Amino acid sequence: MSWFQRFINTVRGRTLSQDLDREIAFHLAERSDDLASRGMDTDDATLEARRRFGNRTVHTEQARDRDVLLWLESLLADTRYAIRSLVANPGFTTVAVVSLALGLGANTAIFSLANAVVLRSLPVRDPGQLVLLDIRDKQHAAEAGDPYFTNPIWEEIRDHTHVFSGSFAYANRAFDLANGGIVRRANGAVVSGAFFHVLGVQAVAGRLLDRSDDVRGCGGVAVVSGGFADRELGGAARAVGRTLSLDGHPVPIIGVADPRFFGIEVGRKADVFVPLCMVNVFDGAHALDERSRWYLEVMGRAPGMTPEDVGARLSAASSAIFQATLPSGWSKANQANYLSQMVAAVPGAGGLSELRHQYAHALWLLMAAVAVVLIIACENIANLLLARGAVRQHEIAIRLSLGAGRGRVIRQLLCESLFLALIGAALGAVFARWADRVIVAWISTRHQPALLDMAIDWRVLGFTIIAALVTAALFGLLPAWRATRVDPQTIMKSGGRGMTGHHRQRLSRPLVAAQLALSLALVTGAGLLLVTFRNLDAVNPGFRREGVYIVQTDFAHAASDTARLPAMERDVLDRLGALPGVRSASQSAFTPMSGAGWNEYILTAGYVVHDARDSLAYFNAVSENFFSTMGTALLSGRTFRAGDNESPVTPAIVTRTMARRFFGVDNPLGRTFRTPVADSTSPPYEIIGVVGDSKYNKLDEQTSPIVYLPLGARSSIQGWTQWNYELRSDLPISSILPAARDAIAAVSPSIELDATTISAQIESTLARPRLLATLSSFFGALALVLAVIGLYGTLAYDVARRRNEIGIRMALGAAWRDVVRLVLGDAGRIIIAGIVVGAVLSLAGSHLVSSLLFGVAPQDLRTLVGAVLVLLCTALIATMLPAWRAARTHPAEALRDE
Amino acid sequence: MPTSKNDVLQGTLDLLVLRTLDVRGALHGYAITQHIQRGSADRLRVEEGSLYPALHRMEQAGWIRGRWGTTEKNRQARFYAITAAGRRQLDAEQESWERLTDGVSRLLRFA
Repeated sequence: MSWFQRFINTVRGRTLSQDLDREIAFHLAERSDDLASRGMDTDDATLEARRRFGNRTVHTEQARDRDVLLWLESLLADTRYAIRSLVANPGFTTVAVVSLALGLGANTAIFSLANAVVLRSLPVRDPGQLVLLDIRDKQHAAEAGDPYFTNPIWEEIRDHTHVFSGSFAYANRAFDLANGGIVRRANGAVVSGAFFHVLGVQAVAGRLLDRSDDVRGCGGVAVVSGGFADRELGGAARAVGRTLSLDGHPVPIIGVADPRFFGIEVGRKADVFVPLCMVNVFDGAHALDERSRWYLEVMGRAPGMTPEDVGARLSAASSAIFQATLPSGWSKANQANYLSQMVAAVPGAGGLSELRHQYAHALWLLMAAVAVVLIIACENIANLLLARGAVRQHEIAIRLSLGAGRGRVIRQLLCESLFLALIGAALGAVFARWADRVIVAWISTRHQPALLDMAIDWRVLGFTIIAALVTAALFGLLPAWRATRVDPQTIMKSGGRGMTGHHRQRLSRPLVAAQLALSLALVTGAGLLLVTFRNLDAVNPGFRREGVYIVQTDFAHAASDTARLPAMERDVLDRLGALPGVRSASQSAFTPMSGAGWNEYILTAGYVVHDARDSLAYFNAVSENFFSTMGTALLSGRTFRAGDNESPVTPAIVTRTMARRFFGVDNPLGRTFRTPVADSTSPPYEIIGVVGDSKYNKLDEQTSPIVYLPLGARSSIQGWTQWNYELRSDLPISSILPAARDAIAAVSPSIELDATTISAQIESTLARPRLLATLSSFFGALALVLAVIGLYGTLAYDVARRRNEIGIRMALGAAWRDVVRLVLGDAGRIIIAGIVVGAVLSLAGSHLVSSLLFGVAPQDLRTLVGAVLVLLCTALIATMLPAWRAARTHPAEALRDE
Repeated sequence: MPTSKNDVLQGTLDLLVLRTLDVRGALHGYAITQHIQRGSADRLRVEEGSLYPALHRMEQAGWIRGRWGTTEKNRQARFYAITAAGRRQLDAEQESWERLTDGVSRLLRFA
C-alpha cells in the first residue's frame, strides 16, 4: 500500500469505518433473515449471526488501521533504535554533531544575512508592485543605471508621466538633533508628499505627510518612526505636537509611523521624515531648482506591470523630461550627453540598499563557500558511517537473514542520519544567531550601523530544514545503501571479520580526494581575498594614514550674521593649531574616505569629452597647511597663501592625474578651466600648483582628478558650514579631543563638533574586504582541516586494516622506509588527484570572485601555488602519523594478533 | 501488477473471492460467502469476520471495485465487481494454486 493511501486512510478513517459498519450490519441482517427463514426465532437468529461473524471490533480495526499502526510503530521503533545506537557511540555522535552544527550553522548564518540584506521585501503594502527608477545612457540601456535624480527631473516625472498609480522621491539625510555642541545624529529622509500613501504605511498617532505638506515655501513638519517616538519622545501619543531641532531648525512633529516601517533602505533605519520642500530650508533657497544636484531616489507603484513595461513607457517620455530640465549654461558637449540619457526601472520590492549594493555579491560568494564546507563535513561523516557500516555488517546481516527487507534496514540507517542532521541543525541555529550578531557588528560603521531585520522567517526556517534534510541524504544514503548490500551468508561465515574493507576503500578514496579538491578551491579563493586585503592595506592613498585627527564642525548656528563666519572659522583653525602637541593644523570642506564629496564637470578648451563621467573631477576647498598636514607632496608650483581667495582670478591646485587628463602635461601652471554653475559657467580657475594624487572615497577606486580651491573662493559650496579641521599630532586622541572642544567652545558654544581619525575613516571603507578576507580564510581553514581529518581517517583505517600484511612484509625483510613509502604512495595518489581536480576547480571558479579583487588577477598562479603548498603541508602532516605508526609495526605482534 | 503472497490462507481467500466475482459479476459480501459455501458444496466456509477486511484490502490494491447499491429486499449493500487488474491477479493466483495443489498431490502420491 502506498504511503499516500495510508495517509488517506488515517485521515478519512471515520467515513471508512462508517462504510464498514453499514456493510457488516447488512451482512448480519441477511444472515439472521436466512436463519429465521429456516425456522429459528428472531432473537436467536440475530445472536447466532453475531456469533458466526466473530469479534466485530477486531475485524473493523484490522481493515482500517492495521497498516497505519504497523507503519507508525515501525517508525517509532526506528527512532528508538537510532537514538540508542547514537548514544552507544558517543565519540562518533559528538564528532558528527559538532561538525554538522558548524557546517549547518555557518550556512544558516550566511543565509539569514543574505535573506535580510537581499531577499526580504519591504514591510509595506504589495511590495511586488514597486519599481525603482534609474537613469541610463541610451547607448548602454541594458546596464544598470545611476539611481540619483535631480528635483527638476523628479518634478517632470511626477507631473508629466502617467505610468504609476503613485510615485515618490526619497533622499537619505542625517539630521543633527543637538542644538550646538557635540553632534547627536538621527537618520532620516527627505520625502515627497505621496511617500507614505504610495507605500501604504499607516500612522499610529497623528497623521503622516501628504501632498499638502509638500509645496514650495513650506515651513516644515516632521513624521517620526515608532521606534524613535518610543526611544526619544516617551511614546507615540506624546510625540505628536512636540518640536524637534533638525540641523538647528525647529520642526513640529505631526505624526508617528507604524513601528514596523523603517524607511525604504535595508540596513539603515530612518527615524525622521520631512517633506521634500524642506530642502530649501536646509540647503538654501534655490536648492530645489538646481539642475545639477543629484540626490533623489525615485520609486513608483505600477500594479500589473513589469519593470520592463515601466521602463519602456518611461524611456518614451525621456526626451521630453531631459529637454525640459536641460541645464542651459553647460557646454554643447555636456548638454548633448545630458540629453542622451533615459529613465529606466528595476524591481523595487526590496527597497534601496547601499548595504545590498555592497554586500549582495559578497554574501552569495560566502554562501557558496559555506555550502562547500558543509559538503566536506558531510563527506567526513559519510566516511565515518561507511567505516561503521563495515563494523556493523554482522548485525545488519543478521537482521537481513531474519527477514528484514533491505528497504527497511536502509530506512533505519537513514533515520539515524536524519537524527544527526536535525540535532546538528538545531545546534547550528544557535551558533548562527551568535555568528550573525558578530558579522553585523563587523559590517557596521560608526556613523552607519547596519540595522537589519534578522528575525527568523519562513525562508530561513525552510532553508535550515531543507539544508538538514539534504545533508542527511548527502552523508546517509550512500553508506546506508552500501552497508545493506551484503550477502548475509558470506558475512555470517566470515564471523564478522573484514570482508568488505576493500569495498570501503574504493568509496572513501574518491571521497577524500573530492574533499581535498574542494578545500583547495576554498583556500585559493581565501588566498585571493587575503591578497586583495593586503593590497588595499598597502595602497598609498596619497596622504598620511596615521596620526591625523579630524575635528568635524558645523558653524550653521554659530553666528546670526553669516558674514562673521569666515573669521570665526579662521579663529578656530588658529586656536587648534596652537594646542600643545599639535604639529600642524588645516581646514577643509571634505576629508578623504569620509563618504562625502563634491564633484563638478570640468570645462576646458582643448579637452575632448568622451562621455559625461569622463569630465568629472572631485573638488575640495582647503586651507594653506592642508597638504603639509595630510602629507601630500607638492610636485610643482606653490600651495595656497593667505589672500589667495581675494585674487582676481581664483587660483587652483590640481593633482597630477587632473593635469594629465585635462591638459595633457605634468605641469600645466597658468592654464585655466571653468565649471558649470547653475545654468551658466563659473569664472575661470587658474592652476598655480600640482600635487600628488590622492584617493577620494575608496582605496580601490581608480585615481580620479582632484581640484583644490582656497577657502572662501567662489564655488558651488558657497556658504558651506561643515568644516573639517585636520590635526597632526603624536598624542592620543583622548588628550587632543577635550582640548580641541574647549578651544572651539571658546570661539562659540553653538558650533557643533564631532571627531574621528583618518585611519578610522580608511578602516570603514575596508569593512567589506576585511569581512571577506576574514570569513573566507576561516571557512578555507575549516574546509582544509575537515578534509585533512578525512584523509587522516582513511589512511589510519587503512594502516590498521593492513597491519597483518605490513607485519608479514617486515618479517620478510622490508625496512621501515619501505613501509612508510607504501603508505605515502597511497596517500600521494589521493592528494595528487585532489590537487589536480582542485586546481581546475579553482581556475574555473575564479571569475566568481573577480569583481571583489583588487590588485590581483582572479587566476593568479602565485596564489594557487601558495594554496597548493598549504594543502600539501597539512596533508603531509596528516599522512606522517599513520605512516609512522605503520613503520613501528612489530612483525611478531602483528602476526600473533591474527 | 499481480503479486503473490506467502500467506496461503489469505491467498486462498483472495482467489476464492476473485473467482466468485469473475463468474458471478457484482456481488455483495454476504452473497460472496453464500456462493463460496454453495459452490464448494459446503466444503469451504469463509470466516465471515475476515471477509470484509480482505475486501477492503483488495479494493485498495485495485483488484475489485465497491459501490453502494440496493438489494431485492430493498436493503443498502456494497456490491463488489472485479477489475481488469483483478482478473490478472486471479490468473496469477489460479496458476500458483494449481502449482501448489499439483505439488502437494504428487508428494502425497509418491510419499
